[in-house]
Amino acid sequence: MPSALLVTSLVNTIQIGSLYALMALGITLTFSVIKLPNFAHAEYVTAGAYAALVISLSGVLNPFIIMAAAFFVGALAALISHLAVFKALEERQVSLYTLILASFAVGLIIRYILFLMADYFNLFDLRIGIPLKILVREGSLILSNLFAWVVPTSIVMVILLTLLLNATPLGREMRALANNINLARVIGIPVERVKNYTWLLVGGLAGLAGALWGLQTAVNPLMGWAAIISVFAAAILGGLSSFSGTILGAYVVAFSENTVMLFLNVNYGVDLAYKPAIPFIIIIAVLLIRPQGLTDLIRRAGDLGR
Amino acid sequence: MINIDIGATAIAVLTLFGIYSLMAISLNLEYGVAGLPNFGKALFISIGAYTAGITYTRLLPLLAGAEVIHPCGPTMGGALQLRSEIMASQPVAGFINLGLTLLIAAAIAGVVGFAVSYVTLRLKEEWFLALVLLVGGETVRIVVRGADDFICSHNGISGVAQPFYFVDDPRSSAFLFMLLALALALLAYLYSQRLIHSPFGRMLKGLRENEDVTRGLGKGISLARAQIMLIGSVIAAIGGALFALNTGFVNTNDYVVNLTLDVWVMVVLGGIGNNRGALLGALLIAIMDRFTQIGAIVLNMSNSPIEFNYVRFIAFGIILLWMLRYRPAGLLPESRLTTNAHDVVKRVIGASK
Repeated sequence: MPSALLVTSLVNTIQIGSLYALMALGITLTFSVIKLPNFAHAEYVTAGAYAALVISLSGVLNPFIIMAAAFFVGALAALISHLAVFKALEERQVSLYTLILASFAVGLIIRYILFLMADYFNLFDLRIGIPLKILVREGSLILSNLFAWVVPTSIVMVILLTLLLNATPLGREMRALANNINLARVIGIPVERVKNYTWLLVGGLAGLAGALWGLQTAVNPLMGWAAIISVFAAAILGGLSSFSGTILGAYVVAFSENTVMLFLNVNYGVDLAYKPAIPFIIIIAVLLIRPQGLTDLIRRAGDLGR
Repeated sequence: MINIDIGATAIAVLTLFGIYSLMAISLNLEYGVAGLPNFGKALFISIGAYTAGITYTRLLPLLAGAEVIHPCGPTMGGALQLRSEIMASQPVAGFINLGLTLLIAAAIAGVVGFAVSYVTLRLKEEWFLALVLLVGGETVRIVVRGADDFICSHNGISGVAQPFYFVDDPRSSAFLFMLLALALALLAYLYSQRLIHSPFGRMLKGLRENEDVTRGLGKGISLARAQIMLIGSVIAAIGGALFALNTGFVNTNDYVVNLTLDVWVMVVLGGIGNNRGALLGALLIAIMDRFTQIGAIVLNMSNSPIEFNYVRFIAFGIILLWMLRYRPAGLLPESRLTTNAHDVVKRVIGASK
């Protein structure tokens, strides 16, 4: 494979992997704290992207304001879906399948509301209007200001989330809920409030990811849904429980989709149309062979280093 | 305003009802009766449709004694014309082709369903089955769409005519196809009713309620799961073949997660575990579908800026959530299952009082 292509695909891997990490952390967090594999997660991403797009079209081009708006709208969508749908179902202790089905329904409603809105205001496939600037041009390697926004923001967010989970009272309470919700309730953790905060955080991160996603490609109502299987693949690589595993999983999925796919394309003539099959293969392979994900691999690597 | 042809609308709704019934009954057997969350319904439905795409382009010309023309690329038009001519002039070839289509589709789907259920044995958590099926369905769709020669990638196969295409009067033709769809749905209904009320059906319900107890009673649960997935997949594939015939197209874009959700809405709306509920759900969704189409046309003609098809999906989501929240048992809840012996005892006790 020509090295120019390799470099470009690696840049894509980092950029897309960072976004996958932001989204997949939300999936892992919802699964461990709320005990819900939330398929509506994709739509918080899309909602955030549209919030960012609308703000940028209204003339505000400050990236921080745009990202804050996306965070807010994503968080709001997540909180509303919790309060309006999931909370009541959880209280009735319905089966996990009912919850999964409900999450599909929530996703369907949000997605097609966005479709209606996009159709009405003609907001299909527009880019968020931050002007494109080339920062680095080294031969075939081109880094734009988008890369400079997407990658550091994602990394900072991941670090902040890790700090929040490990070093704040809220994070401790969330982890307590993830571990044993009844025990958490008994020792006086305000379970409902912690759940609300979890939803806000998860939705906010998804919305932010949507804004960053919309910076690098175009915004359309299917963008979140199109990424959801890759994101689930990343979360499943993390065993749906480990945050470091999820982050690693996100980069593994992005690497397979970009660099490995390109390698197969160049060397073996595999059509790029098969790219969406990669996360599917990862999911099925992991679930069958290593349902615990990469977690204990990371632990083992840590043991070796000691 | 547009004039709505009541006869044609009724035929269209009832045809759709027959096809949806097959899908809903198959999901009801899998999820309603046996408790297996098949979120890959579109996969098994699509097997029927893709099979029809293959047989109509490769098998049908052979049956009619003509040369097979490659259906994709530059010869696409010629192949389409050949198909249509055969379907219009040689009904016998058309029927043999349909029979073989259904057989092949049922065989492939049965094998896939059987194999998939064995995968579940190796999964750590039960809901992973839902994920594997969901993901598997999308993978198959992408691979089929990526393959240029199979059903012509994203172009799909058109001219997949229903077997009564040779009848000159379009209404009689549609009417006969409706009868075929309803007859197959009736067969599936009678079969599944028998199955639910058999000892095997009672064991499946036991499996749904408590796996460990069922196993403790000495029942082989893995084989039972595999069998019900096989039966469900066969019925779904037959429904899928008819679905393709009804639209006249085989295109991978039709077999997405939304189709799976449609079938779930039918079962949840009608009543989980109750076959009559599945039929009611299929009928309601068939009516809703038809009227959404009419609504979309009316709105388009009046230059309304609202795209009605989006409203359909929002409505489906709301119906699903409403049912899950307020009527989780569906419109026609599952009735208590009694055995013959129970009925006899009850009669004797009743007579002695």
